[in-house]
Amino acid sequence: MDVGFIGLGLMGRPMALNLIQAGHRVQVWSRRRASVQPLLDAGAGDCASAAEVARRAPITISMVADAPDVEQVTLGPDGVAEGAGKGHIHIDMSTIAPAAAQSIAARLAVRGVIALDAPVSGGEPGAIAGTLTIMVGGDEAACAQVRPLFEAMGGSITRIGEAGAGQVAKACNQILTGVGVAAVAEGLVFAHKSGVDGAAVREALLGGLAWSRVLENHGRRMLARNFTPGFKAWMHQKDMRIVLDEAHRLGLALPAAAATAQLFNAMAGSGLGEDDSVAMLKLLERMSGCVGE
Amino acid sequence: MKIGFIGLGVMGEPMVRHLHAAGHAVAIWARRPESAAALVAEGMQLRATPAELAARSEVVITVVTASADVEALAFGSGGLAEGFAPGSIHVDMSTIAPATARSLAARYAERGVGWVDAPVSGGGQGARDATLAIMAGTDEETLDRVRPLLEVLGQRIVHIGPPGAGQVAKACNQMILVSILQACAEAMHLAAAHGVDLAAVRQALLGGSAASRVLETMGAKMVARDFSAGVAARLHHKDFAILMDEAARLGVPLPVAGQAWQQLNALMHAGWGNDDTSSLLRVLER
Repeated sequence: MDVGFIGLGLMGRPMALNLIQAGHRVQVWSRRRASVQPLLDAGAGDCASAAEVARRAPITISMVADAPDVEQVTLGPDGVAEGAGKGHIHIDMSTIAPAAAQSIAARLAVRGVIALDAPVSGGEPGAIAGTLTIMVGGDEAACAQVRPLFEAMGGSITRIGEAGAGQVAKACNQILTGVGVAAVAEGLVFAHKSGVDGAAVREALLGGLAWSRVLENHGRRMLARNFTPGFKAWMHQKDMRIVLDEAHRLGLALPAAAATAQLFNAMAGSGLGEDDSVAMLKLLERMSGCVGE
Repeated sequence: MKIGFIGLGVMGEPMVRHLHAAGHAVAIWARRPESAAALVAEGMQLRATPAELAARSEVVITVVTASADVEALAFGSGGLAEGFAPGSIHVDMSTIAPATARSLAARYAERGVGWVDAPVSGGGQGARDATLAIMAGTDEETLDRVRPLLEVLGQRIVHIGPPGAGQVAKACNQMILVSILQACAEAMHLAAAHGVDLAAVRQALLGGSAASRVLETMGAKMVARDFSAGVAARLHHKDFAILMDEAARLGVPLPVAGQAWQQLNALMHAGWGNDDTSSLLRVLER
């Protein structure tokens, strides 16, 4: 298929490479010029703007940081909407607020563009391996039409519902992973302060009801004291802000998510924002007077 | 091996049957003897007191509710300690305070009796399927002697450290489990507020970084709105009192666990203590 890709960062680059690998013809544009080169080397077509990407490909994908960036590349000057032909499908795979995704989809619809929100879970390793979990919101027929593209990037693809529903699922995902990281860090600090070997505790817990992918993967990195991102703490902080903004808007009580968001705030505020989320362990150690390795 | 067994609840009853089926000479004691009638009919012997049970057993296993129950069974009048011969072992598989486990181990050691704290994770289903995760706190020699018994009951037996260490691991297990369960409840609550299909959300998340056994099993109960236990919420509530006490004693801040604890308090107040802990979703909906 002919497809355009906008936003070639930590996640976007391997995703676009996987599309090329799967035999799709990929056009690229990125705000940072330097990030384009590896894709051109792999055979992607070079475009001067998001609008040009949309002129050359009937389906476009964006993978950028936050809602204002998505608005800019889709609805802004030289954006996707300017170049889009009839029946154009735009897939935004960034993580943004569900309300923002709905609003962007509605405004794109006015300009004849069908919008899908398709945020992912699985991080950089999942993007490289092409095993991302993809949560899709938007028109069912459009979702079916672009499925081969999703299959080139992901291992598990679920259509959740209408526009914004993919972002709702992603918000749920960030509640579970955020609270999970904090819970695992609390467990390890508790074991350490009790004078017990954290590695043995993790090993035992993996066999029981407390098993989670976070305990398995993030827990391993905490024990190895490997805080290299991965998924940066400030990005998780941003995602928790989205969750709590939605909770505020909807009048929802999310006590564990709120406590976790405060911890991510403390990470960002104390210089751990550029570390991986697993540096949550360092934060709790500082709070408890533990000395890490 | 001659095994004594005390605690014939949701967990204990399938466990004692596995031991009996594995060919061990199993005797039991029950506070209410009538509760043991079915097991006696299956060929297990009933003893009149914990002391009598201990006197005929090489190893006694207990699976009861609280620290005080284990203390009373061990060192109360007519308790296990009165009957144990030197060299016998008490394996306590209940979830109790690490400090209680350490103190019981020390008192038994004075009499030459061994101690293993071996709390489990996996719930009633894990007990029935003999797939429990078992976290052992004891010395290596004692663990080696009871390992064949533990292997009848569980799949993953991990030696965490000395007496009490198994209970520390179990406390970590409960913290992570209930905190993630609270996170699942909040995620479902958010998805429902958006009018999004909860089953699809759960399905999608199980494929990614947010996957957990809790989302799989208790998440399914939330989607189906089946709040029957499972593990009765009052037991998690009890475990949280233990671990938050320990946190206060050690000076360990546990912000997420502390928050989950308050939600469990609200759950108890709502009268759902005998329901499944997935009722944390209902606490948010009130």
